[in-house]
Amino acid sequence: MSNSINVYQQRPAAAHAESPLFHAELDQLVGKGPAKAGVTLREKKLLGHLTLRGDAKDSAFAGAVHQALGLELPSALMLVAAGETSLQWLGPDEWLLVVPSGTEFAVEQKLRAALDGQHISIVNVSGGQTLLELSGPKVRDVLMKSSSYDVHPSNFPVGKAVGTVFAKSQLVIRHTGEDTWELVVRRSFADYVWLWLQDASAEFGLAIKA
Amino acid sequence: MSQVNRLATGGRIDRSQPLNFSFNGQSYQGFVGDTLAAALLANGVDIVGRSFKYSRPRGIVAAGSEEPNAVLQIGSTEAAQIPNVRATQQALYAGLVASSTNGWPSVNTDLMGILGKVGGKVMPPGFYYKTFMYPQNLWLTYEKYIRKAAGLGRAPKAADPDSYDYMNQHCDVLIVGGGAAGLAAALVAGRSGARVILADEQEEFGGSLLSTRETLDGKPASEWVTKVLAELASMPEVTLLPRATVHGYHDHNFLTIHQRLTDHLGEIAPMGMLRQRMHRVRAKCVVLATGAHERPLVYANNDVPGNMLADAVSTYVRRYGVAPGKQLVLSTNNDYAYRVVLDWLDAGLQVVAVADARSNPRGSWVEEARKRGVRILTGSAVVEAAGSKRVTAARICAIDVQNHKVTSPGEVLDCDLIVSSGGYSPVVHLASHLGGKPTWREDILAFVPGDGLQKRFCAGAVNGVFGLADALANGVEAGVSAAVEAGYKAVSASVPQVVVHLEEPTQALFQVPHDKPTARAPKQFVDLQNDVTAAGIELATREGFESVEHVKRYTALGFGTDQGKLGNINGLAIAARSLGISIAQMGTTMFRPNYTPVTFGAVAGRHCGELFEAKRYTAMQSWHLQNGAEFEDVGQWKRPWYFPKAGEDLHGAVARECLAVRNAVGILDASTLGKIDIQGPDAREFLNRVYSNAWTKLDVGKARYGLMCKEDGMVFDDGVTACLADNHFLMTTTTGGAARVMEWLEIYHQTEWPELKVYFTSVTDHWATMTLSGPNSRKLLAEVTDIDLDKDAFPFMTWKEGQVGGVPARVFRISFTGELSYEVNVQADYALGVWEKIIEAGKKHGLTPYGTETMHVLRAEKGFIIVGQDTDGSVTPDDLNMGWCVGRTKPFSWIGWRGMNREDCTREERKQLVGLKPIDPSKVLPEGAQLVRDPKQPIPMDMVGHVTSSYASAALKHSIAMALVKGGLKRIGERVFAPLVDGSVIEAEIVSSVFYDPKGDRQNV
Repeated sequence: MSNSINVYQQRPAAAHAESPLFHAELDQLVGKGPAKAGVTLREKKLLGHLTLRGDAKDSAFAGAVHQALGLELPSALMLVAAGETSLQWLGPDEWLLVVPSGTEFAVEQKLRAALDGQHISIVNVSGGQTLLELSGPKVRDVLMKSSSYDVHPSNFPVGKAVGTVFAKSQLVIRHTGEDTWELVVRRSFADYVWLWLQDASAEFGLAIKA
Repeated sequence: MSQVNRLATGGRIDRSQPLNFSFNGQSYQGFVGDTLAAALLANGVDIVGRSFKYSRPRGIVAAGSEEPNAVLQIGSTEAAQIPNVRATQQALYAGLVASSTNGWPSVNTDLMGILGKVGGKVMPPGFYYKTFMYPQNLWLTYEKYIRKAAGLGRAPKAADPDSYDYMNQHCDVLIVGGGAAGLAAALVAGRSGARVILADEQEEFGGSLLSTRETLDGKPASEWVTKVLAELASMPEVTLLPRATVHGYHDHNFLTIHQRLTDHLGEIAPMGMLRQRMHRVRAKCVVLATGAHERPLVYANNDVPGNMLADAVSTYVRRYGVAPGKQLVLSTNNDYAYRVVLDWLDAGLQVVAVADARSNPRGSWVEEARKRGVRILTGSAVVEAAGSKRVTAARICAIDVQNHKVTSPGEVLDCDLIVSSGGYSPVVHLASHLGGKPTWREDILAFVPGDGLQKRFCAGAVNGVFGLADALANGVEAGVSAAVEAGYKAVSASVPQVVVHLEEPTQALFQVPHDKPTARAPKQFVDLQNDVTAAGIELATREGFESVEHVKRYTALGFGTDQGKLGNINGLAIAARSLGISIAQMGTTMFRPNYTPVTFGAVAGRHCGELFEAKRYTAMQSWHLQNGAEFEDVGQWKRPWYFPKAGEDLHGAVARECLAVRNAVGILDASTLGKIDIQGPDAREFLNRVYSNAWTKLDVGKARYGLMCKEDGMVFDDGVTACLADNHFLMTTTTGGAARVMEWLEIYHQTEWPELKVYFTSVTDHWATMTLSGPNSRKLLAEVTDIDLDKDAFPFMTWKEGQVGGVPARVFRISFTGELSYEVNVQADYALGVWEKIIEAGKKHGLTPYGTETMHVLRAEKGFIIVGQDTDGSVTPDDLNMGWCVGRTKPFSWIGWRGMNREDCTREERKQLVGLKPIDPSKVLPEGAQLVRDPKQPIPMDMVGHVTSSYASAALKHSIAMALVKGGLKRIGERVFAPLVDGSVIEAEIVSSVFYDPKGDRQNV
């Protein structure tokens, strides 16, 4: 690995961390929602988020990514996952890699080693975004209220991920299970999205999961 | 008061559930299943309002969305007020409070009614047109009068307690209208497996099938409706939207539906429920099954309460069990209208006579009526109604339709209800929202939808297919076609059996002739809602208005919430006859969204109050709130503006914060600055091309200020970019420009220089940034970091990596205040802890949090620009006296270089950025103030520039300003004047824009 890029461990060994929604005190709300909630929300907080750029058409790139992560580069609008790690197509030369909290530095080093010599970019964006998991029978209705993208399973099957307009902001919607979806939300918009989701799911009943 | 007009049996109402309601302060009772109009008619309420212009008493005419008169105000409290509710579309609920929108103090004894004719003279036809021709101030006088007299409802003054929202829908087939054709279409489209939405504006699906006397498979038609709805409800991909009006048909098969979710339950939605929802539908294919409106005939005094549409009366009798009268006279030109006669007889009521414009009608319903003893006067029509507050008689004359003449003195028949039918007008409104011109069909005397500009089919009456059997078949056909169009296989469906009736053609008759000329005859109303008469339309044509659009605007025909539902065709026909042309030549006006009024609540949805706009916060927001910050909006960001102490105002707080930074140390949350991570071997070359200055020699570890220009050479962003490693840079942008710059870089990379190996990634949200600024900043930072802060080890315009507050950080020694400054960047998840540690350690160093206002003052003292405040897209780097930031010898022609070398950009008298020092140090120039050299010159004065930034400087103890002044840089020392709106003048000296520490010693210590 060359020292042409400044890479360093950005996460402290021991320090208090505040996720983008820490001020909402979601842990205090666990168990306080309705018994039969139409929508259940969980913040999958403080995970490692890396933005990966490279040439998808270059087999050396795809091969090295696969070798380093054990995941195939997903094709357009798709998401692949293995355990806690997921790799999502964001654009023709851009992917979002989500890894367990604290492993992002090691993963970046491993990827950089595998991709040594190639023109790529890996950027740690862990502090800049969070994942909100929504599950339950009414999530689709909440998404329909929020986004003009068609979330019907015929158009948005499990495994698909789309960056789109959401209320008056933008985010990524990922369909991870039949009734389970994830939103990739930028830190500065997290409070707005949280307010919006509370409002949009009020009529269906909203519960919070730890 | 008892329900005098309620029939003993019949109707789809639930007589076991009475509901109390009030209208104009009177209490009444109706039943579950009634509309407000049905309940009013049941109670014998003849007058529901006064007309717009002539203030004539008006009653209910129709039973659906075409009702022109019963447009009421609903709501018992201020917050629950809803204007423009059609009583025919409002379900009755317990406690409903309604009132007339027109007719203060009372609809029955109205002052304006007595003066009615005066109102008429004050507002002749063409009133709007003529008014707008006069000077504008006259319109204001008229407006006050019109608004008061017109009273077309009023908006509530209190906040709406209800919630509204949007639902974004996608479907294969959207079917508009749940009558016979719509249900048939939905059934076959649904069976094909397509995603289907069926929307209908009424309380129940079924349309005319709910009140027709015709049978399907030998059973009441409503039984077939029930069966079909059950099947549709069982299909998972079919969405049924009752009480949902498709009010707009927009480009690319995007339609908007206004659904009233709980309007039928009460004036405020039950807890946890929404009042209304706006469905925003993207459909692959649309089926319009919007039906037709019966057209009234135009005759004298046809607006007196007790004049109604034939079809509407059938609906009231059969669907609501209400007979709005006792003795009925029908005036018709077609067969269909005879159904009302049969329904009326079935209800045990008296049919006085039928006037049929045709000479020898022999259709099945006509014969059935004749068989039951109904007196039919052929070749005749009701020429004039008698009565003032209620019809008392009808005058029926023989008429010569061809020559538009009355041919007999006629006879006056006592009656209390005149129903008329002039044929049917397909509801082509939605079909023409996109601009498809409706086509006139002489064979059915109706406009039908013109070319579909989108993938859409029409079915049933809207298509001109008026017979029930044909409408059902047409619906099946459209449903199959739409499903196939959307990619599904056709499925067959059997159409229920309908008894086929012999129907004869309709006689073309719109305005019934009168013995007197139109202008002399009693008023013959064409558009009841806008008080447009046949005489008014004739006047318009006489005054030279020949285009249908001109006639509309001259007379107000089809204006406003009515959108020409009842009156449009009659008006066109009268204009065409008056001009001696055919209706086809006349053409029709276009119809616009919305089909019926939509509440502002539904338009706003959830985008109101706290959710009106996305608010962006930094990781330190909770600290800012706890420490009393006032906030400023910067784009969507909420940035601390200043941190007032008890009793402090903006100026006091800012003066204190400024002095703290100049004399001790301040801390600013700078997280909102745009940050872009740039990686790749060509990153440096890319920077050379997008920034105005040179980047070739910037070493790793160093940072540099850069200006970015558009192609025209004008500054559009600025910021500091640091070299993190050979192939790695971190760019900062202005807060407001972050997204714009990111797009700019991507556009140039993707379209102009794809060969450059470089990637850009936004890291604005990933890094939180805190700026320590002031002479004590080094001492303070030293307490919380392991970085060597020695001035030689860590000089100005460099960056270092290390721990700050126990968290890995990049620290940039750059300054926007002119003081010794450090910008600490940490991963945002850990920023609040670091911030709090610095605050704690800063106590003994006089650390003061400061906001954007102080930042603005401090940078102005140093003459640092703010892009967008001191620049406006017309300012080059040289105009800003920042020629030092222009790489004039860079090998590649970077963005803006050619532009700023155009002749106009290099001339001498361009506006240039200078400092202004008011002669009176206590006077602060208003930002935006225009500058002149001689304040005594006559107006218009010769303006030489304007103030861009202006503040009271606590450190300098006088006011300062920055300004763009023509040729300003060579006029240092001269005076300019700012004449203000209040007549006073502020005099100022042109000075260097760097007011404080011009040599820059303080930032380099």
